[in-house]
Parts: sequence; C-alpha cells; structure tokens
Amino acid sequence: MYSRLKTSYIVYGVVLLVLLSLPIYAESDFIVALMPDGLSGSALLHVGILIFMFAYLSSSWNILGGFAGQLSLGHAAFFGIGAYTSSLFYVHFGLTPWIGMIGGAGLAALVGYGLGFVSYKYGLKGPFFALVTIAFAEILRLLFLYFDFTGGPLGLLIPLASEYTFWEYQFLEKEPYYYIALGLMLFGILISAIVSTSKFGYYLRAIRESEEAAEALGIHSMRNKMHAVALSAAMTALGGTFYAQYTQYIVPDDVIKIALSIEIILFAVIGGSGLVMGPVIGTFLLVPVGEMSRVIFEGGGAGASLVALINENIPAGEKFGKYMDYLSSGGGGGLAILLYGVILIVVCLVLPRGVLPAFKKLGAKMEQRNG
Amino acid sequence: MADILLEANGVTKRFGGLVAVNQASITVEKGKITGLIGPNGAGKTTFFNLISGFMNPDEGDIIYKGQRINGMRPSNICKLGMTRTFQIVKPFPELSVLENVMIGAFNNTANTARARQKALDVLELVEYSEFASISAGALPVAGRKRVEVAKALATEPELLLLDEVLAGLTPTEMWGMIEVLGKVRDAGISIVIVEHVMAVIMSLCDHIVVINNGENIASGSPQEISDNPAVLEAYLGADFNANEVMG
Ligand SMILES: Nc1ncnc2c1ncn2[C@@H]1O[C@H](COP(=O)(O)OP(=O)(O)OP(=O)(O)O)[C@@H](O)[C@H]1O
Ligand SMILES: [Mg+2]
Repeated sequence: MYSRLKTSYIVYGVVLLVLLSLPIYAESDFIVALMPDGLSGSALLHVGILIFMFAYLSSSWNILGGFAGQLSLGHAAFFGIGAYTSSLFYVHFGLTPWIGMIGGAGLAALVGYGLGFVSYKYGLKGPFFALVTIAFAEILRLLFLYFDFTGGPLGLLIPLASEYTFWEYQFLEKEPYYYIALGLMLFGILISAIVSTSKFGYYLRAIRESEEAAEALGIHSMRNKMHAVALSAAMTALGGTFYAQYTQYIVPDDVIKIALSIEIILFAVIGGSGLVMGPVIGTFLLVPVGEMSRVIFEGGGAGASLVALINENIPAGEKFGKYMDYLSSGGGGGLAILLYGVILIVVCLVLPRGVLPAFKKLGAKMEQRNG
Repeated sequence: MADILLEANGVTKRFGGLVAVNQASITVEKGKITGLIGPNGAGKTTFFNLISGFMNPDEGDIIYKGQRINGMRPSNICKLGMTRTFQIVKPFPELSVLENVMIGAFNNTANTARARQKALDVLELVEYSEFASISAGALPVAGRKRVEVAKALATEPELLLLDEVLAGLTPTEMWGMIEVLGKVRDAGISIVIVEHVMAVIMSLCDHIVVINNGENIASGSPQEISDNPAVLEAYLGADFNANEVMG
C-alpha cells in the first residue's frame, strides 16, 4: 500500500516536472520534428492549455457528479456564468478579471444553491436532476442570446488591454496562459484531494451510495448535495473566466453548449469518476487522442473518396500506401469522430470503472508478485 | 418512575386504504432493551420508519427526550441521539467496511483521523476488525448485518432501533450478534429491537410490546407476554417454539 502510493507520487511528480518545463523546449528542433507537418511548438502549448483546462473542468464536475453521484449534464451553464461575469465586469467597468472571476464564482455558487434547492426540494433525483441541469443550461444560453447587455448572438469581444500585464489577465504569448491553466488544474486536484479526505467528501460518497442510509447516520443529504452543487459550480466558473481570457471572445453558443457539458463528463468517467485523479487522467488520455485524430483525419480535407480507393484494383502494398496518403492528406472528415467514439466504447466496455482503478489494480498485482 | 427516553402515543399511518400502523404506542425506558414483536406485516418496520423520521405519521405524537419529533428529518433525529438500522440492510457498497463505519463516526467529529479511530474501535466492539478493508458490497449477509449495526453504533446513539438484525443468520452467527448486543447494552445504550426469533426476544428484552395489524395487543415483561393468550392467538400457526428455532 505504502510503496504503491509512493510509486504513483513519483510518476505524478515526474509528469509535473515535464509539464512545468515544456514551454522551455516546446520550440526545440527535436520537438518540432516530432510534430505533424506544419505544426509549431506553440500548437503543443495550445494542446497543453486545452488539456489543463479540461482536466480542471472535469475535476470540478467530479465533485458533484463523481463524489456525490449527482449527474449534472449542464455544467456548461456555470462555465458560461464564469466567462460572462468576469468579461462583463471587464468590458463595462474595467474591473480586472482576477477579481471578476471571484464574482463569477460567487454568482455560480449562488445559482448552484438555487438550482440544488429547487431540484432537491421537489425530490428530483438521478435522471430527473440531469434533465433539470440540461434545461437550466439551455434556458441560460437562450437568455444570453436574447439580452443586449451580454452582446446577444454576436457575443462579447474582450477589448485588448493597453498593456499586457499579469493584472490584466491578457498576454501576447501562450506561455502565461499555459502556466495559469496548469495552476488551475493543480488547484482543481488540490480541492478534490481535500474534499475527498474530509468529512464532506465522505458524506458525499455516502449520499451517492445510499441517501437513506446517509440520513439515518445524521447526514443532512439535501444540504450536503447543495454544497456540492455550489462548490462544483463555483470551480467551473473560474474555468469559464480563463477560457474567456484565453480566447478573448465569447458567444453563448460556444461557452454554454451541451457538447462541453458532455465532454467534461466523458473525461471523468473514462479516467475514473469519484476519484481525485480520475478526471485528470481521463483528460490526458482523451484530449490528445481527439486532437491527433483531428489532425490526422481532417487535416486538409482533400476530396479523395475512400470507397473508390477501397474498390481500386491495385496490389495490397500500393493500396496501403495510398490509404496513408489519403489519411495524411486529410480525407474522411467524420473518421475522427468515429475513431474517438470507438475508443470511448471500447474503454467503457473493458474498464467500466475507468482507467485509474485498472491502473491501481495492476499496480497492486505487480507489487504482490514482487513480494 | 423510570427515566423515559422515547414515547410514541396513538400513532397511525395509512397507505391508501391500508392502515399499517393504527393508534400504536410504545414507551422506551433508558438503559433497557425493548422488544417490538408481531407477525409478518404487523407494521413493525413502518412503526420504526415513523419513529425515526423516514415517514410522517398521520396521527399521534412521537416524543423523544421530552421533545416532539414528528416530521423531523431522520438526520436531525440522529443528531438528537436516536439511530436506526434497516431490515433490508443499506450498506454503502462501493466503500470499504471501515469507510462505512467512519461515515457514522463523522456524526460527532469533523476530523478524519478521529473518525477513523472511532470506526476502528466500533469494529473492535462488533468483532469485525479483520474485514475493515473489504468492500461492503462484497460481504455475505452476516457481514452486512454487522456493518449495519456498526455504522449505527458509530454515531454514538443513546437509543438504537434495530430492525431484524438477526434475520438470515446461522445460529453461530446469531449468537455472535447477540453477544455484541449485550455489549452495546452494557455500554449504556438503550435498544428497541424488532425480531422474529422468540428465544432471543425472551432472553434479551426487559420489556416487550406486541403489535398485530398495526395495533397494540399486549405489552409487559417477557414472562407476561409468553403467558398472554392474545399474543398466542396472533401467532397461531406461526412457529412459536423457541427451542426449535435456536437449535
Ligand atoms: N411504503 C408502503 N406503501 C404501502 N404499503 C406499505 C408500505 N410499507 C409497508 N406497507 C404495508 O404495511 C403493512 C406493514 O408492513 P411492515 O413492513 O411495517 O410490517 P412488518 O411488521 O415490518 O413485517 P415483517 O415482519 O415482514 O418485516 C404491510 O401490509 C405492508 O405491505
Ligand atoms: Mg419489517
């Protein structure tokens, strides 16, 4: 047990060191040579930023969905609240997003309490709670589209700061965003670890496993669930502010989309939901697969037909070469999604609890074998 | 007059046309083991649900330590010192036995290390320490019943409501559990126990309340109950031979 813990800490430590130093060698010839054609080291940083942000969002969702077992399918709503609150404060009052994001998190927490109160007061559980969260996100998206002060369907352009300073939360280079995103992810892991080992975390797991048994043991299930919604919402909102600052432009259809809500759940479920590192591991596995398959299969979108290629009467070796040409020239648009879907299905079938529990089991087995 | 911990007076619960509990009453004295018995479907579990806050009575009062607790949340009732177990046990299946018991222990502390220590002590008491790291979902019936009792004990109750914690156990397992209950009583915890095994009820209880069709039909000492013709009639056809049950 002890030595296994130590091994995993060493692995995490090494990975962290690599990530911390990545910007230093991202532009080196060696790394650039490894990347697919035409991509620079800054693309690598971009992927890193995406991974950290999604790992953070997925960890935030995990506190509600994983620990407490409350399936929220509408977390994009809290993401949007965070993105819009800090951005509106910045656009209208020039308030730095560092402070605006606290406002966004606070607002998301309040909204989370309200949503939790209404849902749990009327005993909406499981799929019914999930439906409420979807409906809530959709309504919020429509409201943001409707109102003028949010910029409506045109969205909100975050004006460039006169000076790029840390205080403005705007940077010319990718590196600062990279480190902020990394910091967010570490923050998410820290909060998850604290929750997981605290009374609150034990109570959330108890509620997930049996709400009645939890109540019998003195756990106010409704109150604890509401705290979980609020905490998870507030954390997600901080991610929204980061996204707004990174892209400098937000529209409702982009920040409050169901695809986002679903994606962060997938990462957690594939990695191992209800575990501190589950969402992080899931994101580190899935985002690169998604990005790679996109680059490989959708790169340029040249119009060769796969069916024609399959039917062509040429030697197998030559055909294989042509397949590769076809793929690398960016044929077959939907293939990326297809491949991604197949990977998800396979992982779900083979490892229903996620990747992390399987790793742990493997580690325990190897330890046993080694004495 | 002895110290009265719990008093339920004229409690009624209807499910549509069915009156599951009908003007039922029970008085629980501090430090005693009180038996609640009656044939299948008599309304014992429903009565427990009403007392512990899982259901709201249609009529009657439930007074715990002088306070009327009708309509109070189960968690708040637990905070007052009354905890129940479930006839159909409700473990936290994905969590280990130790974690299951820790969740009860958090009732009196916010400190994880202290909750763990308390849980280990309780597991020691119910003689189940060796299974601490096993998933509760993987346990056999006897184990689940032990964990059910351990979780409740970890909340440090003054009054423990036990709903058929002996059902489904082999005689050996049953005596193990009875020994545990003796220790619980000696620790000064009052108990209300629902049980079908008469030998156990007769030997363990200080006072017995009998209900049938949701109504009180008798109450008194084990001796008085076993001599009561109304009780015998209620159980007519049921196995009333204690020696046979206990082997
Ligand atoms: N939630 C419910 N809805 C409708 N009817 C119920 C409900 N719970 C119990 N009943 C009915 O109320 C009556 C009393 O049931 P209860 O479970 O309290 O009996 P019991 O004395 O605990 O029986 P057993 O010894 O079999 O556990 C039964 O007829 C049962 O079918
Ligand atoms: Mg019953």
